[in-house]
Amino acid sequence: MRNLKWFGVALGVLAGASAARADGPKELWHYYAAGSEKAGIEALIAFANKQNPDNQIVGKVIPGNAVEMRRQLQTAFMGNTPPAAYQSSMAFELKTFVDSGKLHDLSETWAKIKGDEIFPEGVQRVVKVDGKPYGIPYDLSLINNIFYSKAIFEKAGLQPPKDYEGLVAVCDKLRAAGVEPLGNAGGPFWSLYNFYAPLVSTVGTEGYYKIASGELGFDSPEFRKGLELYRDTMVKCYAKNWSGKTWTQTADDVVNGNTGMFMMGAWAAAYFKQAGFAPVEKFDVFPAPGTEGKAIFQMDAFAVPEGPADTLETAEKFVISAASAEGQATFAVPKGSLAPNVTVDPSIYDAVGAKFARQLADASKANAVLPNLFFLLPTKVGTELGVQLEKFAIDPSDANENELISTLESLRQEAQAEGAYLKW
Amino acid sequence: MPNFQLMRRKFQTAGMTHAIFLSLPITLFAVFYVYPIVSTFNLSLHSWDGFSPTPKYVGLRNYVVLLNQSRFYHAVLNNISWLVFLLLGPTSLGLLLAALLDRGMKGESVFRVVFFLPFTIPAVAVAAIWRWMYEPTSGLLTTILQSVGLGGLAQNWLGDPSIVNFALMGSMLWWTTGFAFLVFFAGLRNIPVEYIEAARIEGATPWQVFWKVSFPLLWPSTIVVLGMAAVDAMRLFDIVWAMTNGGPAYASEVLATQMYDTAFGRFEMGRASAISVYLLVIAGLIIMPYIHQLAKRVQDAEAE
Repeated sequence: MRNLKWFGVALGVLAGASAARADGPKELWHYYAAGSEKAGIEALIAFANKQNPDNQIVGKVIPGNAVEMRRQLQTAFMGNTPPAAYQSSMAFELKTFVDSGKLHDLSETWAKIKGDEIFPEGVQRVVKVDGKPYGIPYDLSLINNIFYSKAIFEKAGLQPPKDYEGLVAVCDKLRAAGVEPLGNAGGPFWSLYNFYAPLVSTVGTEGYYKIASGELGFDSPEFRKGLELYRDTMVKCYAKNWSGKTWTQTADDVVNGNTGMFMMGAWAAAYFKQAGFAPVEKFDVFPAPGTEGKAIFQMDAFAVPEGPADTLETAEKFVISAASAEGQATFAVPKGSLAPNVTVDPSIYDAVGAKFARQLADASKANAVLPNLFFLLPTKVGTELGVQLEKFAIDPSDANENELISTLESLRQEAQAEGAYLKW
Repeated sequence: MPNFQLMRRKFQTAGMTHAIFLSLPITLFAVFYVYPIVSTFNLSLHSWDGFSPTPKYVGLRNYVVLLNQSRFYHAVLNNISWLVFLLLGPTSLGLLLAALLDRGMKGESVFRVVFFLPFTIPAVAVAAIWRWMYEPTSGLLTTILQSVGLGGLAQNWLGDPSIVNFALMGSMLWWTTGFAFLVFFAGLRNIPVEYIEAARIEGATPWQVFWKVSFPLLWPSTIVVLGMAAVDAMRLFDIVWAMTNGGPAYASEVLATQMYDTAFGRFEMGRASAISVYLLVIAGLIIMPYIHQLAKRVQDAEAE
């Protein structure tokens, strides 16, 4: 009997704990665990909480990346304990959750923040699924620029190249001067991001979206031409042993004067700055050949899961603060990224950041803002494209080229048969 | 006349007590071991992204698709290479170190700590350390090789598909040898000195003493070390995932990392479950004979 009594007490404590969980703090899940990213999110949460004293939100780090976030979310959705809001990638990352009815339609919030006016068209289309917004953009980085060391370029008497011939010529000169020409890093993303420039140069903006929607096959002559342009220019320029390095190790090579150029997302600028490598003085950027006037971007948005009314209220108030010009600047400055909100004052950026902002604004006007293809493709196609591209960049043999094309083309056909593609 | 009623009641009470005591472990076993396996098998027969309300039944399609993928076979082969490596590498080195230290070296206690220390470091920290050691241009390994005039041997350790598995095994050797060393060292210290002395008096050389006397008596330690190595080879995940994510381009992928990538990188829960069922079967085939042997030894020991 006594045991039963204790058992009852334990059950009561557990029930109390779960009730407390339901009424507990409203959480914002993200994977900004350190450095400038962490500073950015903490500043934003503090700003939003100051604006919404009755709807406080608490940040919670999910260590890892988008994949680890998916794992945690999946478990949370199964247990019916999702966060109030979370950091999400764009396009297909959102769509998967929308299709399963897990995300809250943010149409009302979108109208309040005038989303159609404050965000560029290319940005809007990757947070809307079937015309409805499910994400609030806040962290945008361009991925079509090449960073270069000014000291190395000056010493070798070089100017930033404008086209692919110029790029190869610069690489040859750097190599002759004993410097590795172009840095890259191992993993399924970086070679892929580098490849977008030759791809866009070959298939154009329209072709890029056609690949994203599955209309243009991986076995098309245009895609093969893009692949071969990548092989004959960038792959030829890559530094020795690039595939064994992380992107920060390659950035260190640029800082240490071992590598002349590095094509990486805009976040590399924040890393350089932290390493004491000052923008404009020590390093600068130029758009990768073929992407002048265009902006290819990677972006994160806040997504809001369905939940109880008070949790939704807190989440909505948070994302409204995060979407405001002040909120976007609060995050973008410490993080070193761009604010997707076009009403943000460009004077908040440093010299290189201002270049990125101009590039985005010009591309917006020309309707040439291209989202990262990886997230426009059905998840399994995008992931395989990254893996195959890395393999091809390590060994650009004909066999690997043909394997890349056949593997991806069969995946494209499979995904099309399943109706997995979407026109963004 | 025996009181049958009393005996029956006693027996019933004892049976009840046994049942109560057994119910907890059986429930835990059923809930945390049997149910997940059955559930995983059930999921492997479906196509499911992990979120949608209803998984779609596809029968054995996930299993068949995997059997047609070179990526899957590559991961199986990698697991088998790891099995061979873990059975031979850390085991032999651990035995060697234990045997050396058992000879009564100076500073034995310091070496004991030094050899065992890496094993106490968490996998992710080991991966972070070795990611820097293996940096191909200015990492410690490349720098040391260059400084002793062997720069030609320096490799693109984690970036070359033909090298990466050996590089990972190198870090694993550093990390796990300490365990084998400790078990063997304890085993050597438990061997009665009389046996060794008797062998010496009979004129055995140190080599003969080790192989003919010490090593056979180390059999219980060897069983433990080899068993753990086999289990580690099958469940290998953390060090590979933290160092290379299975890359470059699947080169260092093992079944557990492929399962994780398939489940959460591509939202294919059914196929990922099929990989884990294959892994269970392969691990079972490799480890069951060991468990069978172990159980037999325990039975024999109890019989004695």
